[in-house]
Amino acid sequence: MNDMTLTERALEATEIKFAARDVQVYYGTSHAIKDVNIDILDKTVTAFIGPSGCGKSTFLRCLNRMNDTIDVCRVEGDILLDGEDIYDKKVDPVQLRAKVGMVFQKPNPFPKSIYDNVAYGPKIHGLTRNKAELDEVVESSLRKAALWNEVKDRLDSPGTGLSGGQQQRLCIARAVATSPEVLLMDEPCSALDPIATAQVEELIDELRGNFSVVIVTHSMQQAARVSQRTAFFHLGNLVELGDTTQIFTNPKDPRTESYITGRIG
Amino acid sequence: MSQHILTAFDRDLESVQASVVKMGGMVEAQILDSALALETRDEELAEAVRQRDKAIDELEERINVDAARLIALRAPAASDLRVALTVIKIAGNLERVGDHAKNTAKRAKVVMAMPAINGSTGAIRRMAQAVETMLKDAIDSYIQRDAALAADVRARDVEVDQMYNALFREFLTYMLEDPRNITACMHLHFIAKNIERMGDHATAIAEQVIYLVTGQLPEESRPKTESVSDFNAAED
Repeated sequence: MNDMTLTERALEATEIKFAARDVQVYYGTSHAIKDVNIDILDKTVTAFIGPSGCGKSTFLRCLNRMNDTIDVCRVEGDILLDGEDIYDKKVDPVQLRAKVGMVFQKPNPFPKSIYDNVAYGPKIHGLTRNKAELDEVVESSLRKAALWNEVKDRLDSPGTGLSGGQQQRLCIARAVATSPEVLLMDEPCSALDPIATAQVEELIDELRGNFSVVIVTHSMQQAARVSQRTAFFHLGNLVELGDTTQIFTNPKDPRTESYITGRIG
Repeated sequence: MSQHILTAFDRDLESVQASVVKMGGMVEAQILDSALALETRDEELAEAVRQRDKAIDELEERINVDAARLIALRAPAASDLRVALTVIKIAGNLERVGDHAKNTAKRAKVVMAMPAINGSTGAIRRMAQAVETMLKDAIDSYIQRDAALAADVRARDVEVDQMYNALFREFLTYMLEDPRNITACMHLHFIAKNIERMGDHATAIAEQVIYLVTGQLPEESRPKTESVSDFNAAED
């Protein structure tokens, strides 16, 4: 049992990692994100909540330009990472995604060994100079993902042979291996059982010491458990952003209240 | 507030709140009956008040169990969470008021056997009526989610405190006049103190209503009268 007190949960960081200004996203003619302004703090877990189709995943995907891969998708406005526009022509999306890692809803390990799954990122980005360094990165990433003890004796086995929860933690280890500054998680626990979910949540809390984490979740209890700040999206608008405690005990906007209390909003 | 998608959630919330309102009604009757028994020297009524306290205690227990169940099974958030928390606290305050009424009835039975003290039981009953009205308004403000009415209840506690202080001085005078009054006056003083404490609990309930409606407990301290602990018999 973690005996962390409530005050320790309190928000300590104040440094802005991502700053989004007047962000609009269109899929063809449909206006998916409307005038979103948000600051995402460093070393903080920020949860995006909202009903299906509210734009929370779309907005998350803007943060590492995953929407570039969708032809009809158009992003307007400014998204600044450490003050620099990530949609600037000079920015290489591949380099950006090394800095802004992502974990998806379903675990999607490469059809390679456990070792290669984690080593892939550091290899293609040339982050290590020799095998010894690479081994070190693989081990520390697997340790950060709380998976090392379970897989250290079978690093050559295929990643796809692990259980669902282990696969998801492998994907987290893979995302962590490139030493990202931000970790985006799109419903990372929706395919996991409660034990694996608890392990991933514990991990998220530990990762907060090093990264800024943004998590999209349909489980409001999960948002309440893991995040320090919560943003509520509805119909493409950012309705309310605040300390998680405030959002869940005393939301300011009636739409937030309706959503988190399970009423017809 | 519109209804939950899960209708069973609404039923649970309504049921626990109905228990609180029912408990409020029972406790109001106890306040009035205990004071009436004292004034009319009705031993039977005093005994009935003592007997009825058990049902109030049981209702508090049920409210706590229901609220715990609500928290465990429904994971309430925001205003629903505040309902779950406030029903527990309000039930706790009502239970205390019930205890004070029971103690008043118990002392009333003792006082009945002694000579009357100069109209003081009438003053006690008026004080009890003021407290009962405060409690009734506090429960009404809860039902109607009326923070303004709750704030009014909170402001009225000072009047009850003044009544208590006046009685305190009065009893002190009677005791100084004739030491044979001391036993009755001590009991009457404890009865007055019981009723003054009931007023504090009604105020605490009103504060819970303000928290329920606004999400915040009132910040400014409520009006206070001078305290009897500053009094000194030698000064009079």
